Amino acid sequence: MTGPVITTFYGVTNDVPFWHWTTLLHFCLVALAGGAALLTAMRAMTWASFPRRLATITVVLVALDLVVLWAESEARFRLTHVYLFLSFRPASAIWWGAWALAGSALLGVLLAAGWGPRRLWGGLLAVTATVALLYPGLALASNAARPLWTPLLLAFMPVTGLLVAWGVALVFRQTDLRPVVAGLGLAGAGLGGLYLIGLAFGGDASRAGLAELWRQGGPAFVVALAAMLLTPALVRRWPLAAGLLAAAGAVLARTLLVHIGAFMPPLA
Amino acid sequence: MPRFGMAIDLSACVGCAACAVACKLENEVPPGVGRLWIRLEEYGTFPNLGMEYRPEQCLQCDDPPCVPVCPTGASHVNDDGVVLVDAETCIACGACIAACPYDARYFDPRGFVSKCTFCEHRLAVGRVPACVETCPTVARTFGDLDDPGSDVSRAIRAARRVDVLKPEQGTHPKLVYLNAPASFGLHKEGVLP
Amino acid sequence: MKLERREFLKLSAASVGAMMLAPDAAAVKLPNPLARAPEAWYRGQVSTVLSYCENCFWKCGVRAYVSDGRVWKVDGYAENPLSRGRLCPRGQGAVAQTYDPDRLKRPLVRVEGSARGEGKYREASWDEALSIVAAGMLSIKERYGSESMAFFAHGSGDSWFGDYLPAAWATPNVGKPSVSLCTSPRETASQWTFGRGIGSPEPVDWENTDYIVLIGHHIGEDTHNTQLQNFSQALKRGARLVVVDPRFSVAASKADRWLPIKPGTDTALLLAWLNVLVSEERYDKRYVDANTVGFERLASHVAPFTPEWAAGITDLAAADIRAVARELAGHAPRAVLPPGRHTVWYGNDTQRMRALYLVNALLGNYGVPGGFYLAQPPYIGEYPHPDFPLAPASGGCGGASAAAEQTIDLNYRQAVDQGVFFAKTTAIQELIPAMISGEPYRVAGLVAYGTNLFHSIPDVARTKQALQKLDLYVAIDVLPMDHVMWADVILPEATYLERYDDLAEVSGKTPFIELRQPAVEPLWDTKPGWWIARELGLRLGLDAYFDWPDIEAYLDTRLRTIGSSLAKAKPQGTIVQGGRPYLTDWEARHLNPFATPSGKIELYSQTFADAGFAPLPVYEPPEEPPAGSYRLLYGRSPVHSFAKTQNNWLLMEMHGNNAVWLNRSEARRLGLSTGDYVWLENEQGVREGPVAVFATERLRADCVYVVHGFGHRAPDMRIANGRGVSDVALMSRYRLDPISGGAGMHVTFVKLIPGAPRPRLPRLEKLAERSV
Repeated sequence: MTGPVITTFYGVTNDVPFWHWTTLLHFCLVALAGGAALLTAMRAMTWASFPRRLATITVVLVALDLVVLWAESEARFRLTHVYLFLSFRPASAIWWGAWALAGSALLGVLLAAGWGPRRLWGGLLAVTATVALLYPGLALASNAARPLWTPLLLAFMPVTGLLVAWGVALVFRQTDLRPVVAGLGLAGAGLGGLYLIGLAFGGDASRAGLAELWRQGGPAFVVALAAMLLTPALVRRWPLAAGLLAAAGAVLARTLLVHIGAFMPPLA
Repeated sequence: MPRFGMAIDLSACVGCAACAVACKLENEVPPGVGRLWIRLEEYGTFPNLGMEYRPEQCLQCDDPPCVPVCPTGASHVNDDGVVLVDAETCIACGACIAACPYDARYFDPRGFVSKCTFCEHRLAVGRVPACVETCPTVARTFGDLDDPGSDVSRAIRAARRVDVLKPEQGTHPKLVYLNAPASFGLHKEGVLP
Repeated sequence: MKLERREFLKLSAASVGAMMLAPDAAAVKLPNPLARAPEAWYRGQVSTVLSYCENCFWKCGVRAYVSDGRVWKVDGYAENPLSRGRLCPRGQGAVAQTYDPDRLKRPLVRVEGSARGEGKYREASWDEALSIVAAGMLSIKERYGSESMAFFAHGSGDSWFGDYLPAAWATPNVGKPSVSLCTSPRETASQWTFGRGIGSPEPVDWENTDYIVLIGHHIGEDTHNTQLQNFSQALKRGARLVVVDPRFSVAASKADRWLPIKPGTDTALLLAWLNVLVSEERYDKRYVDANTVGFERLASHVAPFTPEWAAGITDLAAADIRAVARELAGHAPRAVLPPGRHTVWYGNDTQRMRALYLVNALLGNYGVPGGFYLAQPPYIGEYPHPDFPLAPASGGCGGASAAAEQTIDLNYRQAVDQGVFFAKTTAIQELIPAMISGEPYRVAGLVAYGTNLFHSIPDVARTKQALQKLDLYVAIDVLPMDHVMWADVILPEATYLERYDDLAEVSGKTPFIELRQPAVEPLWDTKPGWWIARELGLRLGLDAYFDWPDIEAYLDTRLRTIGSSLAKAKPQGTIVQGGRPYLTDWEARHLNPFATPSGKIELYSQTFADAGFAPLPVYEPPEEPPAGSYRLLYGRSPVHSFAKTQNNWLLMEMHGNNAVWLNRSEARRLGLSTGDYVWLENEQGVREGPVAVFATERLRADCVYVVHGFGHRAPDMRIANGRGVSDVALMSRYRLDPISGGAGMHVTFVKLIPGAPRPRLPRLEKLAERSV
């Protein structure tokens, strides 16, 4: 029997956004925090004279992100977040993220205060920072039912995460990052393109997702990828502008993916 | 230990929503969110028409994607195979809501995630879930999937066809749909749990 | 909880170890009062009370779960023959009405000098309010006679306000909407065909039938519990189903055949079936010979009504028409055309119902397994009271049938609608003209109990005009409905979970009696209907009829007449008796169930002929809708009961608005899509809405359809107010059935006016959070 399918419902369907602007804010903050932490770790391990202020900035960013995560949760006054640290949940991206962020904050404090072996803390911080950069992609890609959150995000999210943080770092004259940021910009744009191609050839559900992504923010996504792509061209002569552009493009791309990506194709 | 499952006979269901109303009261589900709703689908062109009435709720998957992603273990499976949320350890992060292919979960305004529990409190005293008990067309059957003599096992055996929602997700739901309209063609043939 | 340090370390180590080995393990728990899961109602001390539901008129037995002085849930119970342990969505959701913050809480008196309909009220004590009512009624009695008071009543309390009190007071002007706005054509036709009414639940032998034909009758959207259970069991058993309906209803979606008939032509179809049964000699000869009169006349009458004749009229294929008749005959006597319930369609509905009954009779199914069974009322004594001065023939969907001869006490005038139509039961809408014109005599007062005057009676403008002319208008209700806020005195009744009522006497294969008892105390200052009736009665000088000290004594006395008692009945809930469901049961006792003049099933009705009506069913073509208009059809949502549930937040969450269904091709032609808002305007220029369009394939192109009960204009019902459109508000006219007195309501034609604004309504969720 062919013909259109007309769907109506009795009752409340839960087909509503489960993550809101606060989550989008978190995805920005976690990028900044993770990138700052990794930069701090690298400086702590390799620089002779280590700028402790960088560690302080890391601690502040991580703390801000943790506060936002706590405050946006409906369970904020139930004080259940403590259970993140009283459980062992290796399959849960958010569990890894909680430990990575908490660990980064702790190590950041140690580095900022100058207590203990700097290079060791730096090494450990590099680990926790990497996890902090990886876990958002995992949190999205774990959801097999949502076709826009593909496994490619496992690479796209860390790359764009670093772009956000180190693009901003360029604004604060961390000019040694210029070549890395250029590379990240290229990588981000490339991965973004691969992502779209992957959706187009990924099957009915993926194509439905691509259509939805296009409908809600197609042009914006393209602009974001273009901004990232332009970074290498601009970074040598105008590092400030290039940094801002890269960070903005990365933020835009991540925000669109998180916001629109909750899409599931209709059951019928 | 029983492995509880449910079957909904779509040829019997008339979409009256008695189950949905019963669930809201039995489980004090707050306004604005729902554990159970009814999908009504009209297909065809006048006068060759068909309707499907399909209650939707947590499918109590055998491989629930909502459990591994939980960062505190609040989302868990009990000994009877029922997927539950321990409100006392839930941080309302929504990872499980994101992971569910079926929109089964919601944020309870009191600060934790919730969903259909197969009326686990009734199971504990030997009663069936509220939705099963009230259904006027006896479209719902319930029981131990591992017991061939249970209501649900007998209903599944007697069915013309058995479907699960989104079988490609590999969730192996323990709530299955029986006797979907033969001409509907919008479900894939499912694998029996 | 104090732990030794060593124990604590051991515990933590073990927990951590367990967590490491079992990655799906839960967290180690700490005592945390802030995180405690909310205490569910079923964890407390729960007691149960048996009663019967009031959210429609089926009266399913329910078990109410009470904890902490509050009802949390109701379920059916297995021993009750109506609920059988299951409840429909309205039954499940009725609890929310008890805790509706918009409920009437205290008696209200209209502010002196304000107009009816302005909605200006002050609170009053019960004593004051009842005294005002009594004084008003006695004044009317003195000036115009007791017949000048009218009572409109529906619901369980209509035993008090539609039977007991008006009878004691002595007025015949009692109207129940369940009669002339619902069942009267099927009751009148049944009375004069079979000598018995139909009643409730409809005596269809679902358990034994193999072939079902529904004319309209949207079972599945009509969620009369037991009927839905029986219907679905019949289908599960393999019974075949044919649905005749201009709309692809839920029942149609389960059918083997859907006949999308042109509205208003069902009688032609039924006549064609009679033609086939007769001309092809497929009727049950033995049954017809033994139990009917008038066959020869019927046979010659239906000769011209061939399927080919009907096909042109009904817009159906002659082959389908013929096939159904043959299939009916092939499955007879386990083939049945159920009578439906709301049968007031076109003003010639008694004839259509006669045709339907004749088809059943020719199939030989009346009084036979698989067809109609012979419902018996239960046996129980009345509470002894002095003879009533008169017995108003107000009928009722479960009660007295349409042939009830009004006890005419020559000391009193007849009801003001007598002579307007043939049947003896009153027609509520025909009691209204006398309020305006004073002919045949003045009706100066009205008590409206549980009757939604603006949502059930067509020609709302006329009703409002009548209300303006009354000396006294009293409303007894649960919610501040549109019409309630016009009354001079508003008396708030407690909901069914908070009160006793008279016993429910339910006819059936095995008739039974149901007890209603309160589960909780009445909220605010509301009172049960029996108390209101009694208090009024005492103030009206009717003490002799209210000599029982309280309702418990009343019920106990009645129950003792059958060897029970209130104490015995409370834990039982239902008392089931024996019945005589089939002809064979009656024949065995040498009894004749057919109380017709001839003592047989009257295929040909001499009584109708004598009264100047067609003695055999005739088809009358309906008016055609004018160009650009559509016939307005209406029906139900499974989660709503008429216009009484649209303030119930639970049920509104299920289905929160109505829409106007329009055939998709028509919608395309008019440039309308689902979700566009339109006005509906009838031929008299009355405009209602805005209402959203629902473009669907499930409807013929010549009609539109809305779910009845929406479109409330009642600002104090915060959820219901302003949602959807009222079908009755568009019914500026109706067609009176001259035989039954029924008000045919499928005779409204509407245009869709595009461009209506989308109503801005408060969010249901926010309103629902106010629930007490």
